[in-house]
Amino acid sequence: MTPSPDTTTPAGNGGHFDPRQAAALLDQTTQQARRKLAPSPPWLLAARAVAVLAALGAIWLTVRGQHPYKGPTGADIPILIAFIILNFAATVGVREHAMTGVRGKTRFRPAEIAILAVSWAVVPVLMWALATAGASFAWYPTTVLIVPGLAWAAVNGAREGWRGSAMGLVIAATGVAGAFAGPAGSWAVAGLGLCIVLLGKAAAVARRQRRETA
Amino acid sequence: MNDGELDPLIHVPTRLKIVATLAALPDGDTLSFTRLQDMIGLTPGNLIIHLRKLEEADYISSDKTRNGTVSITTVALTGHGRKALDAYTQALRDLLGGL
Repeated sequence: MTPSPDTTTPAGNGGHFDPRQAAALLDQTTQQARRKLAPSPPWLLAARAVAVLAALGAIWLTVRGQHPYKGPTGADIPILIAFIILNFAATVGVREHAMTGVRGKTRFRPAEIAILAVSWAVVPVLMWALATAGASFAWYPTTVLIVPGLAWAAVNGAREGWRGSAMGLVIAATGVAGAFAGPAGSWAVAGLGLCIVLLGKAAAVARRQRRETA
Repeated sequence: MNDGELDPLIHVPTRLKIVATLAALPDGDTLSFTRLQDMIGLTPGNLIIHLRKLEEADYISSDKTRNGTVSITTVALTGHGRKALDAYTQALRDLLGGL
């Protein structure tokens, strides 16, 4: 942009701007901007926490009485698939909407997206390898969380996002903890673990937004 | 109430909204002109006038890139601009706290 004379008077400089009005406008604008630009707003994180607890909890309720364990029933699978699709669509949709027009560090780079995608793609391979090696927990739902959790921690650690990195490590730890909970119990561990992680992040984001606008 | 100590460049409703909106971005991030315009609710001409004023004072930086036939202008708050907003916010607190 080239230097220009001050032509702002007719554009909004006329009249007295009371400091109280300025403080109110500053507070309102900051809150609105933070809300519109938040890639993971607290309400979405809290909604995902409730949804994951409901979806995985419902499956745990149906499998906990199985002796021997047979896994989720045919009626549970649509619930799980619907949850995964809705969760993914809501997360990506809200993030893309918030990130419209934003460039820079907040956006994931293609290499980071590739690492996260590969981390999900290797999950079936890992589970198959564990099953081949005779690991009893190979097909537990929590086993799914280990590699993507570590990948999330690594990607966030590389960009010095320590909160995100810690979140990834907790997700991976939930995956490991599930290995000790048995096939039915691992559904409860996955639901509770992810719910706590998401609620914790929602609380942290809400607290940070409040502190920054105070 | 004496508001003479408030930065006159920021102490204008429209420019205050622009600076506060850009301050909501993390350091190193930029915002496209069209998204900023959408968030502030100004006409392009009006927004350009205020952005020029802020850029002349080194409160914001702008960058224009071409993507095929489309040119995209992005703006960001500079370190100097962030310090100016912090000082303005503190001056407001001091003024209002003294009431």
